[in-house]
Amino acid sequence: MHIPDGYLSPSTCAVLYVGAATGWCSALKRLKRVLLGRVIPLISVFAAFSFVVMMFNLPLPGGTTGHALGVTIAAIVLGPSGAILALSIAIAIQALFFGDGGISTLGANCFNMAIVGAVVAYASYRLIAAGAALASRRRVAAAAIAGYLAVNAAALLAAVELGIQPMLFHDASGTPLYAPYRLGVAIPAMMIGHLTLAGLAEAAISAGLVAYLQVADPGLLRSTSGIAADAPELATATHARSLQTLWIATAALMLATPLGILAAGTAWGEWSPAELPKVPVLSHDVNSPQSVPTGLQRLSNLWTAPFPAYAPSFVRSRGFGYLLSAMFGVGFLLAASLVLRLLLRRYRRREYPA
Amino acid sequence: MPPLFELRDVSFDYDGVPALRGLSLQMMAGERVALVGANGSGKSTLLRLLDGLCFASRGTVSFDGQPLTAEHLADDRFAFPFRRRVALVFQNPDVQLFNPTVFDEVAFAPLQLQWPKETVLAKVTEALDLMGVAHLRERPPYRLSGGEKKRVALASVIVTDPEVLLLDEPTATLDPRSQSQVIDLIHEWKGSSKTVITATHQLETVADIADRVLVLETGGVAASGTPQEVLSNHDLLLRANLVHAHQHSHGGVVHSHPHIHSHSEHEH
Amino acid sequence: MKRGFLEATTLGFARAVTRAMLSEQTARQRGLLQSLDPRVRAVGLFMLVLAVTFSRKITVVAGLFALALAIAVLSRVRISTLATRVWLVVLAFTGVIALPAIFVTPGNPVAALGSVTITEQGLRTAALLILRVETAVTFTTLLVLCTPWTHVLKALRALRLPKEAIAMMAMTHRYVFLLVETTSQMFESRRSRTVGILRPEQQRHMAARTAGVLLSKSVSLSNEVYLAMQSRGFRGEVQILSDFHMTMWDYCGLLMFLLAGGIAVWMGR
Repeated sequence: MHIPDGYLSPSTCAVLYVGAATGWCSALKRLKRVLLGRVIPLISVFAAFSFVVMMFNLPLPGGTTGHALGVTIAAIVLGPSGAILALSIAIAIQALFFGDGGISTLGANCFNMAIVGAVVAYASYRLIAAGAALASRRRVAAAAIAGYLAVNAAALLAAVELGIQPMLFHDASGTPLYAPYRLGVAIPAMMIGHLTLAGLAEAAISAGLVAYLQVADPGLLRSTSGIAADAPELATATHARSLQTLWIATAALMLATPLGILAAGTAWGEWSPAELPKVPVLSHDVNSPQSVPTGLQRLSNLWTAPFPAYAPSFVRSRGFGYLLSAMFGVGFLLAASLVLRLLLRRYRRREYPA
Repeated sequence: MPPLFELRDVSFDYDGVPALRGLSLQMMAGERVALVGANGSGKSTLLRLLDGLCFASRGTVSFDGQPLTAEHLADDRFAFPFRRRVALVFQNPDVQLFNPTVFDEVAFAPLQLQWPKETVLAKVTEALDLMGVAHLRERPPYRLSGGEKKRVALASVIVTDPEVLLLDEPTATLDPRSQSQVIDLIHEWKGSSKTVITATHQLETVADIADRVLVLETGGVAASGTPQEVLSNHDLLLRANLVHAHQHSHGGVVHSHPHIHSHSEHEH
Repeated sequence: MKRGFLEATTLGFARAVTRAMLSEQTARQRGLLQSLDPRVRAVGLFMLVLAVTFSRKITVVAGLFALALAIAVLSRVRISTLATRVWLVVLAFTGVIALPAIFVTPGNPVAALGSVTITEQGLRTAALLILRVETAVTFTTLLVLCTPWTHVLKALRALRLPKEAIAMMAMTHRYVFLLVETTSQMFESRRSRTVGILRPEQQRHMAARTAGVLLSKSVSLSNEVYLAMQSRGFRGEVQILSDFHMTMWDYCGLLMFLLAGGIAVWMGR
């Protein structure tokens, strides 16, 4: 799901670079508190490890193969800040040294896979594995689910970023300037591949690695286990309280990303001729907008409120309905895990001190 | 003259397993010592203790009269001179070569010691020439042969002109030619106040590189003496698992004798 | 063609290594890009990639593509290399992605194939996308081919990236090759001990085990590296030697990049 150069508009790239930079800065700041020098070799070698894992051609059910990301095991071993940096470095090296992946889209790719991916992986893993013993099977399952969610969250974000390009960035005649498919096409197209292949690949490798570590090297699982007795090195700096801001910010960012990018978009007046008959060039209407189930439409109407003067009709398209529910779903997951964590913490007094 | 290194009743546990127990020894400045022992006898651990990379759980380690503890090494005024004076060459060169190019690698130590730029450039060039790797200056480490890696590793530590060289299995995994090159280098490098402490299990090299041999066994010093004394004590060597015994038969008679793979002959 | 997990992954490794080797070779040639300060190279080529992204007109993007070609030739990059490694690959990948756009993009129809119509907008968007990606990737590849990795790092440093990030990128790059080699060796030894074809779940199991061993080795390697760093005086602060000086030639180059990018953005708006 690496997005190459040319698929995203400059403003989209810029917004996502800013988002990524926020993630990087906060990760670096968090780690500086734990003596960044100590973790430089650990993160570097882990980044190299992720790089190698990304090259694995994993056989999946049905005779297919898929590639994993390695973000989940990074989050499990290093914690979210370390994982953010390790994956970002791996992606950057892919782009800058091996020429795989775009450099204008480096921010976007890091934001999707390294930042959101790491946070979703970490949050889901901690949530599902909470309280389980280091060697329990629940941790393996937690790793699998966390991996699956993380990859699909990243893929969804990428799909959204690609899918909003045509409606925001096109020329006067309606030609999309960048990624040509709207949300209604982009989201299913991206998600099908990841819900099946890449998601399963990541789940398989994350679960397999946790199972392996439980036997061969359980110490590596300690720092994110939430078990207070084991003094976590890296996790000390990423304590829940300071992490919460990161989660809240990410959840908010995810929910707001379409809004933010919409706000940064250009030319509110120029809409695809299929939707607004204002544009005179047109005489044929080849792909008419689809009708939407009333439930979704009512939900969509929520969004027309801030922009009553425009009320662009794209809002009524099925694609936007998908967007809304999907974004809301992932954002809800993050928010829910936050709340649950708060509740769990009330019960468990044995959390390590700040 | 006070000893350069002094260990008193040192114990060290590695992951709960005792590696060194009640170890006491002294090393004088200018000595060339060989630490011999089977794998797992604690040679590497001892070298790392001497380099202040790990710290004893019991007992004291001191260098030049000063204690080698984590607290003391946290003080820049002790740490910087110590790091310059004592150098360790790791057994696995890939661990030691972590910079993008050979030049960066050799420049790492002077830069950490915050030497001025011109000095760094001059010293690096000198060290590269000395080790005969100047032509590999811009090479990344993954494109070096085993022997080249070892020479670059050596260059990266001698660039700061240390007084003490700690070598962890310097000739292991090297082909015969590189082996003899490294041994020659160690041999020639000694000056009046240079101390060399080499950990090795290759007994045939010991006579060339050391005046004193310490045999490590079960976490402690089993024997100490000149190379001739130690190498001729076959029982000791067998006990310390440094040599193996062969059994072969001539006709109906079974012979067994300890066997060192060395240049010298062994008699039946 | 079905390939086993081992073979497919090993191929991926081999491709990565050959890519790296090719970069080193090209970087040593004496050409236009190689003669410029790496910071100018990085900033300039990145600006051109941005210009490609900004342009809304196919003609401008085509012009930038021509510029990329010219720079390639002047930098002694073999066109056949670019063609096989970049253009064909992008065409295959992006071409497949862009093809349906010809049919589904709303607009003026220009042709019909049975029940589906091809629109003018569809053709334009597909062409624009393909051309844009080709040009942008060509610029990126030129940067990668003509700049040794250490120069990339130093250029990033000049762009004010924190030195801890640079140090980590340097170390990661260095150890990628070691890990690739280690993994290949593990695969080889497993392959020689495997008789017959493994079922997918066996292959997955082997993948997880190999990854697990690699992970453990990686972590202990990193611990050892930290010790080695400390042994040579590392106290937590990264120190870097900067030795790049800008000459008149470099300033000229920077100016040219700025001009080209600026003109392209202006004309393509």
